[in-house]
Amino acid sequence: MDESTYPAIRVEDIRRTFHPGTVQEKKALRGVSFDLRPGEFAVVIGSNGAGKSTLLNALAGEIPVDSGRIVANGTEIQNWPVHRRARLMSRVFQDPMMGTAAALTIEENLSIAARRGQRRSLRFGIRKSEREAFRAKLEMLGLGLENRLSDRVDLLSGGQRQSLTLVMATLKQPQLLLLDEHTAALDPRAAALVMRATTEVVHENATTTLMVTHNMSHAIEFGNRLLMIHEGKVILDASAEEKSKLTAGSLVDRFHDVVSDRMVLS
Amino acid sequence: MEILSTYLNLLPVSLAQGAVYAFVALGVMIPFRVLSLPDLTSEGTFPLGGAVLATLLAAGFNPVAGLLVAIGAGILAGGATALIHLLLKIPSLLAGIIVLTMLFSINIRIMGKPNTAIFNYETIFTELLNADGGAPLSQFALLMAIILGVCGLLFWFLHTEIGVALRSVGANQMMSRAQGLPTKWYIVGGLGLAGALSAFGGAIMAQFQSYADVTMGAGVLIIGLASTILGEALVGTKTLVRQIAAPVVGALVYFQVVAVALALGMEPSDLRLLTGIFVLCTLAAPLIAKRVARMR
Ligand SMILES: Nc1ncnc2c1ncn2[C@@H]1O[C@H](COP(=O)(O)OP(=O)(O)O)[C@@H](O)[C@H]1O
Ligand SMILES: [Mg+2]
Repeated sequence: MDESTYPAIRVEDIRRTFHPGTVQEKKALRGVSFDLRPGEFAVVIGSNGAGKSTLLNALAGEIPVDSGRIVANGTEIQNWPVHRRARLMSRVFQDPMMGTAAALTIEENLSIAARRGQRRSLRFGIRKSEREAFRAKLEMLGLGLENRLSDRVDLLSGGQRQSLTLVMATLKQPQLLLLDEHTAALDPRAAALVMRATTEVVHENATTTLMVTHNMSHAIEFGNRLLMIHEGKVILDASAEEKSKLTAGSLVDRFHDVVSDRMVLS
Repeated sequence: MEILSTYLNLLPVSLAQGAVYAFVALGVMIPFRVLSLPDLTSEGTFPLGGAVLATLLAAGFNPVAGLLVAIGAGILAGGATALIHLLLKIPSLLAGIIVLTMLFSINIRIMGKPNTAIFNYETIFTELLNADGGAPLSQFALLMAIILGVCGLLFWFLHTEIGVALRSVGANQMMSRAQGLPTKWYIVGGLGLAGALSAFGGAIMAQFQSYADVTMGAGVLIIGLASTILGEALVGTKTLVRQIAAPVVGALVYFQVVAVALALGMEPSDLRLLTGIFVLCTLAAPLIAKRVARMR
């Protein structure tokens, strides 16, 4: 295959069972497959416990898969450790506290992110020229963080920390951006700000993105691909064209159709 | 009056003693504060540093060589704790206890006996001060110069790319992994750094008291922790400078408090009990404050 036609990421029949062979056995991923083309912005929806977070954790390497392949640039990466996969992908977690190092300053956090996946040396951790770039990126958020570069991150609010995490995730262009309900823990105003910043950074560089959301109107409004996950499987994979015709109501109907069909079949 | 003069008599020695213990206090601060990983290995690396240095001096090496090898040994011991913790998934406290227990035998192996006197050998004190090792106040001045150098190096290192990454791993492992940091190797390196500082402290101690003893580590962890907590209360932790200064200031103040207590007639053997109570109180303070606040 010619390199330019590689998907940004290919997921082939990945499976993951928690506590296998015990009473708590939980098949969290039961054969998930999809490709994302470069620049695709896929929204992932599904009820609680459907396996969305497990899917993102499996992609990032936080949770190993039992079987299946994850392919990037023609290379299987499902056995790579998390820190190695960080060369290809970056993520924003649901918990605003998870994405930043609280005891470090804003600029130190950014300097870590600016070197994502690179070797570190004994050179000074932050270069002068970088500070300007950090300021410019933070200015786009409109939160005034550009004037607080040497403030420790534990002084920031949840919304500010999540915005910073988003900047960190995209400071060095990732091949795949993973967002797991990254506005769910924020108040509505902060959530709207972070969502606006998300669409800006994603569109700016046409970043291939996988965004889990619990918010049906976000699922309709954002992205150009939609994956619905139920009980560890993709039960709906809508292309840009199909997605553009969906409404929140029709999505819920589709969900009930598929789920009841399955119940009839099984 | 008599108490005051007793204290003033103790002052020079207690200052020097505080400076000696500042290194191991730094070695205790690193795992607890920078890595957020409680570690007890210093109780073994401190005598390890003393044993290595004393053995090398007795074998005819100069003190600088002795200090450098002691640092190397400390890195290995600290790294061993980290590897046991990470590879065998044993809690870090237990991993440290295992290593310090094994170090007891290793330290005796190194010296060939439980203690080694080095009265007749050149130490940094005899080489840099005068032939009898210098007066306590000049020892204190020399040690403070070394401490400033060590703290400066530490401050520089924690601002390098690797140093910032190390602090990031200590603050948030999941985020650090996601940013491409091989967190396990950073923890091995971080505990190695702590081991280096503790062993260096032990090697300084051996030269200060002119002998190394396999039991000289007993209690250093709590002294280091008490110093760190005390220093943090005095200088704070807001910036890295303060976090690095805290154990040093704390160790100096701690030994002043000890000198006052001794001047007041306290039995030296009761010191550990009081230190333990002090650490206990500071650890319990947040909980008690919360209870009190709730009662109001
Ligand atoms: N580490 C784990 N150990 C055991 N079970 C887990 C673990 N993580 C997730 N699960 C289970 O797997 C299922 C999918 O979880 P998750 O992927 O978090 O769902 P969601 O779609 O809500 O993000 C749930 O039933 C959950 O309880
Ligand atoms: Mg989830």
